[in-house]
Amino acid sequence: MENLFVNLEASLNRFLTATLPGSLPNLAMALASVVVILLFVLTNVVWLVYMERKVAAYMQDRLGPNRVGPRGLLQTVADVLKLLGKEDIVPVAADKWVFKIAAVTVLIPTIMLFAVIPFGNNLISIDLNIGVFYFVAISSTATISFLMAGWASNNKYSLLGGMRVVAQMIAYEIPLVFSLLGVVMLAGSLKMSDIVAAQKDVWFIVLQPVAFLIYFIAGTAELNRGPFDLPEAEQELIAGPFTEYSGFRYAMFFLAEYGNMVAISALAVTLFLGGPSGPWLPSWMWFVIKVYVMIFLFMWLKWTLPRIRLDHMMQFNWKFLLPLSLANILLTGIAIKLF
Amino acid sequence: MYGQGLVKGLSITLKHFFGRAVTEQYPEQKPVLSPRFHGMLALDAVRCNACGTCANWCPNGVIQIESVRDANKKRVLTGYALDMQYCLFCGLCVESCPQNALSWTQDFELACYHREDTLHKLYQAEVSQVEAASGSE
Repeated sequence: MENLFVNLEASLNRFLTATLPGSLPNLAMALASVVVILLFVLTNVVWLVYMERKVAAYMQDRLGPNRVGPRGLLQTVADVLKLLGKEDIVPVAADKWVFKIAAVTVLIPTIMLFAVIPFGNNLISIDLNIGVFYFVAISSTATISFLMAGWASNNKYSLLGGMRVVAQMIAYEIPLVFSLLGVVMLAGSLKMSDIVAAQKDVWFIVLQPVAFLIYFIAGTAELNRGPFDLPEAEQELIAGPFTEYSGFRYAMFFLAEYGNMVAISALAVTLFLGGPSGPWLPSWMWFVIKVYVMIFLFMWLKWTLPRIRLDHMMQFNWKFLLPLSLANILLTGIAIKLF
Repeated sequence: MYGQGLVKGLSITLKHFFGRAVTEQYPEQKPVLSPRFHGMLALDAVRCNACGTCANWCPNGVIQIESVRDANKKRVLTGYALDMQYCLFCGLCVESCPQNALSWTQDFELACYHREDTLHKLYQAEVSQVEAASGSE
């Protein structure tokens, strides 16, 4: 069980090298990992939409979706089919090309993030020696798609939402990155596999609890999830940058949103929760369990707290999180020097 | 201390997360109604003496009573119909009935497809009964 996917990969590789000539097997293997990552993201998103509605319902003493399929499990499928049947509207006043491209580009960084995530022991697509840096760099490019969508819609709600996304994501990226630095200093490497290996004895959440908290808060803000869901504040901005989108373009934003949630949770698992390691169960199963614990935390927070005010959000970031993360780096450095 | 309210809020939502849902899955699961629930009206035709008090009290003219006089000049009920589309379930008819012949039932599923179906005949005497009661020679 432990090496299920590793063995699958090895046998696929053997099959491809036997059948395909030249460097084609390498290309095919790269494509295969892209397909696997896509499948992983898509199945998780389908499940997460259902899970979010169920969690919200349970926290509000409701039952949630329970009509389509057993226990409402096919609800997301029904929703996707409905979205497929919707008219694809591009507003007359919109900047058509940017409007259309934004819906595609929003998903690209999400998929790219999973390239450096260790899904299990030896289950990592590309073990870059700057893995953490790659993750941070790619995740920050997601901002531009939101701004593109907000600007191209030519709608005041979209634009305001887009501006808020940029302000929020860029601001919270700083404490997010600084919180990761503590872990990187302890592990002495930006390579994901090294960081996981460094947590063999004790998870970094024990050594870096403040960094984990900062990461969790900043991650919530990066995901534009409640209580930091100002960019798509329904009551004021309808749906923020997604206001003018319909049908499958809208679904793409949804997909990216939940895909990002999986990615941020996966990074938290890798950096703070010991990565894909644990007793008895296979490592990839531990990875999924830990990721879902993180996702439940995100959902729990969203369905507990009301939306934070814009100026409070900014103040909290610049006046509290940023100094705190800097102090954390300083203390970590001193501690490393001392022990 | 910072974060106290946060922890309190999170504990409340977690408690509800594991608590029971209050949702009533209606068509499969019927609601438990209070004994004084105002549903459909029921008529005890034996008790009713067709005095017409209920029809007079009704603010919307829902109740239609038909009656005849028997040999002793006494009123006998021959028909009792409710035009439920106008009923506001105030209960004045039930309160006013001197014979306690009207009562509420727990039946609230009164939706129907046609306007004519809102007319509910609670009592309709047979033609022979009407003739017998009116004492026709």
